Amino acid sequence: MALSRRDALKKFAVGSAAAAAVGSTSLVTLSGVAHSEEPAPVAPKNAVGMLYDTTRCIGCQSCVVACAEANNLLPEAMKLGDGVHLTASDLNSFTKNIIKLYKPVDGKEYSFVKQQCMQCVDPTCVAGCMFKGLQKDKNTGVITWNSKVCVGCRYCEISCPFHVPKFQWQGFNPKIVKCELCKERLAKGDQPACTSVCPTHAVIFGKRDDLLIEAKTRIKNHPGKYHEDRVYGETEGGGTQVLYLSHVAFENIGLPKLESESVPRKYLKWQKRVYSYLAVPAVLYASMVGVINGNWKKHQEHMKEDEEKTGLRAQL
Amino acid sequence: MNIERWDRCVPVFNVPLLTKPFKLICALGALALGLVTYRELSGLGPASGMNDAYAWGIWKTFNIMVLTGLGSGGFSIGIAAWIFRRHRLHVVMRTALLTSFLAYASGLMLLGVDVGRPWNFYWVFTPWRWNLHSPLLEVAVCMPTYAMFPLLMENVPPVLDWFHKRRPQFRPLIEKAEKVMYKFYPLVVGLAYILPAMHQSSLGALMLLGGNRVHGLWQTPLLPLLYVWAAAFMGFACVAGTLLFCSLVWDRPFDVDVLSEMNRITAWIIGSWMFVRIFDIVIEGKIGLAFAMNIYAGLFWIEMLFLGVAIVMLIDSAKYKDARLMFHAHLVAAVGGMLYRFNPTTLAFQPKPGAFYFPSAIELLISVGFVSLAIAAFVWAVKNLAILPAPTYSWYQMEAREQDAKSGAALTPNYAVTDSNILL
Amino acid sequence: MSKPDFPEKQTIGKSLKNAGVSRRDFLSFCGVLMVAAPVGLSLTQKASATAIANAIGQAKKPSVIWLHFQDCTGCSETLLRTSRPDVASLILNVISLDYHETLMAASGYQAEKSLRDAVEQNAGKFILVCEGSVPTKDQGVYMKLAGRPALDVLKDIGSKAAAVVAMGSCASWGGVPSADPNPTGAVGVDQIITDKPVVTLPGCPPNPYNLLGTVLEYATMGKLPALDQFNRPKFAYDRLIHDHCPRRAHFDAGRFAKEFGDDGHRSGWCLYKLGCKGPATHAACSTQPFNETPDVWPIGIGAPCVGCTEKAVGFRIPIFQTVDIQRVTPPEALPLVHMPMGSASTVAAGLAGLIAGGIGGAAYMAASRLPGRKDKNPPPAPSSDDTADSSLQDVGGK
Repeated sequence: MALSRRDALKKFAVGSAAAAAVGSTSLVTLSGVAHSEEPAPVAPKNAVGMLYDTTRCIGCQSCVVACAEANNLLPEAMKLGDGVHLTASDLNSFTKNIIKLYKPVDGKEYSFVKQQCMQCVDPTCVAGCMFKGLQKDKNTGVITWNSKVCVGCRYCEISCPFHVPKFQWQGFNPKIVKCELCKERLAKGDQPACTSVCPTHAVIFGKRDDLLIEAKTRIKNHPGKYHEDRVYGETEGGGTQVLYLSHVAFENIGLPKLESESVPRKYLKWQKRVYSYLAVPAVLYASMVGVINGNWKKHQEHMKEDEEKTGLRAQL
Repeated sequence: MNIERWDRCVPVFNVPLLTKPFKLICALGALALGLVTYRELSGLGPASGMNDAYAWGIWKTFNIMVLTGLGSGGFSIGIAAWIFRRHRLHVVMRTALLTSFLAYASGLMLLGVDVGRPWNFYWVFTPWRWNLHSPLLEVAVCMPTYAMFPLLMENVPPVLDWFHKRRPQFRPLIEKAEKVMYKFYPLVVGLAYILPAMHQSSLGALMLLGGNRVHGLWQTPLLPLLYVWAAAFMGFACVAGTLLFCSLVWDRPFDVDVLSEMNRITAWIIGSWMFVRIFDIVIEGKIGLAFAMNIYAGLFWIEMLFLGVAIVMLIDSAKYKDARLMFHAHLVAAVGGMLYRFNPTTLAFQPKPGAFYFPSAIELLISVGFVSLAIAAFVWAVKNLAILPAPTYSWYQMEAREQDAKSGAALTPNYAVTDSNILL
Repeated sequence: MSKPDFPEKQTIGKSLKNAGVSRRDFLSFCGVLMVAAPVGLSLTQKASATAIANAIGQAKKPSVIWLHFQDCTGCSETLLRTSRPDVASLILNVISLDYHETLMAASGYQAEKSLRDAVEQNAGKFILVCEGSVPTKDQGVYMKLAGRPALDVLKDIGSKAAAVVAMGSCASWGGVPSADPNPTGAVGVDQIITDKPVVTLPGCPPNPYNLLGTVLEYATMGKLPALDQFNRPKFAYDRLIHDHCPRRAHFDAGRFAKEFGDDGHRSGWCLYKLGCKGPATHAACSTQPFNETPDVWPIGIGAPCVGCTEKAVGFRIPIFQTVDIQRVTPPEALPLVHMPMGSASTVAAGLAGLIAGGIGGAAYMAASRLPGRKDKNPPPAPSSDDTADSSLQDVGGK
């Protein structure tokens, strides 16, 4: 039985659609297989970081003062305009480092916690930044912000699991502000300002590998002293270069529970697969154009017919 | 209004442009532009309620992520018409394309207001600077490309028609231009479907990086797929609702067959969408979250309720050719879709404990104002260009009215069969 | 040899008057005593210097026998080091110093006889003040007084004393001679005298007002001042240097001298990083100046405190090694880990409601005009000047 042109075209359309579906699914699967071989990102060889031990911190806030001085975040920046100085209640556009207090209502335990950029091994902020405004140094792993390319979209601010990057909400030249491990001081061979002033060595600076060893040594020498007998940041969120030892639960000092797979690696998996080499979009596009082309010719015929019937100019 | 068959597109000829409501809408738009100046001078903080926890406010999450979903009529109706060969939908294509273009234009303009350092946006033209893994990059490249190239091109025919009719000296030029355009038309139209598919899904991918701070009932690897699927039915709902509303306020005939077909397609899209959504939640073992006694479960059920009721209303109104119910149905479907696309960005997103966000008055006014600008542009366009569908005899009525106007004869208020009131 | 002629036991007031100490000087001395010992001394609970003066003036001069053991005599010297008035004369007229090897004129056999007579005449009534640690190794041969080991002398004389005061760190807990490896087995006096309370006044040297306050309390009120767990008078030893240090503001602000002579050091910044033991040392040096002159003490001249009063610190922990900070209480002013952020202004909330209501109302009104099912309920005839707010045409519920 011969196929009418209508049926043929219909079958062609259905066939193209099916082909497109099959083609893109297989492409996605293939790229999925290809990408699943990708290893998880690791810290660079000379990755530096900090180790913070809540059992040693006395809440003196010398680190807050030192950070403000080293980064030119002067008290003037904190004024509300009526001469009143603001004490930061959180990291913000003039506070790159802060000490907070965990003190539950029953007061049975308390802890200080130092908060600043965690310098993640696989940073979510870097993964989301459109034009590489936030970049991770290949040598030291320090994440820095580039004012020349940042568009101020604040995607980094909402995607950071530790709520670190902060936006300057005032003024018409806003910046993204976050700890950059005092990169100028590091370049001179010095250590960051906060670690250099801590009187009790609650926060220390060093290579990430060395700090991990130090942390594990402390845990071994004082079993039961540190929460869960482990160091936070070894694997959390893919690993961070700023590590925490705490005598209270990590959630209580604001360190979120994270899986060992980093957010970009876990959540952007399918995005990467679908857009790999733009293969899937290209296949879909090609098949769509094919179908549309067939229908377009028909549509043009209809338009001509209508024009003849009504005497009015055809409308596309 | 009466019920007819839509054959071609006819401008709104029986209503003057500068009515009171139109002036009000323009005033809202002008107010928004004035407030934008304030935002540019004093920064985002004073002009909005955004804070360090909720760094994305309604300008991004609503005007862009939600309203461009509504403005996906060109995308979804286009695919239904051109790929699935729903011929009858061609007559509403121009309306769909115009609503899409205006939704995108107003959204993208507001995006320019929302970003903090817009002078650096030129890096979008330097591919070596692109971070290819970023979903936001995909949106930033794809959305303006789509709006300024395929979508704009698809909106050109009504303008060409206007010139063809009103400026006879350009006729040969226009016909030549059309010939050139028609040669590449399928390529352009194909782009007009693949690009929105990409960036509407990337809009969904944006909140993937929220990780587990987006509530489990919304966070899923299927988020991009669900977003673009939702854009599909939201586009239908928006265009159908617009058509019904325009028919109402300008006393134009409407075509229940076309609208019923749109209803059925919309119902099918919503139904399959809901199936995938719920299936995904069940497969990932998150169904328990839907029965927790908290606001997130409540939001989820409101969404499901709206969309479930919408399906019923859509099918019912199509069966009984009930225009009132149709309008309600599309309204409910649109609200359900908007709620779905809005939730993971704000209501179901808890960036850190204790965080709260509510847009400030200025933020609301700017948001509403930009939508008003889009509406004002829409009203201006449909009153001057042949965009809204109508029966063929409406065209003759329009021409007759023009003759009367030229010859100085008294103009009757309108040529509609039934008396109605001019609302807009 | 004739019996030594002890002066008759006068009241302190008469004795001072005879010594030519003006009433004014005496009152100012009482004022200093009040300030030096603000709490813990019932003597100074009295309201005014005058009242104290009267109380003291009427008390009988207590007899004091002062023994030196393994000492440097610094604790005696500290009594003599004041600026105004001359505490030497005060002391010698406030107490009856019946035996003091450094200050008395006698020597040799005369001195030995002085001691025997002094003890005999005041048996059961004198205050024994000891200076210097007592060696216990090898039957205490390392310090002998007139051929007798200090151990025996102390046991002997101590048994006859009414009260025993260990003046200085050496007598209080061993001091310098007891530093590692403690070759002489030096111990504090309270390790030898165990049958009566031994008031310890550690310090190297302690402030003279510590002794004065203790002695006067005993002489006027008949009892020893309130003591802590190491038998140190609370009025002088209940506070850490750190808690009252004049440089505390620098510590709190994180301003530390890192090297002797650097800018921080020259600016008078906190000496904690140079090894200051202030945070671990109980003493009143920060509030009770030596020589009655402020800043005449180690921290005042830029030398970190060595913790000379504390047994666990002084001459034990190396001078430039930092100590742990005790007694950390978190201040109330630090932000909490999770602070609430963001709010809704009433205007904004109202506006949002207005917009939502407007859209919803418009949508409803619009819908009601559309023909319903089979035109069973035809839409109402519209009025002529309807001005519905149709600001947003297609959706509601924003």
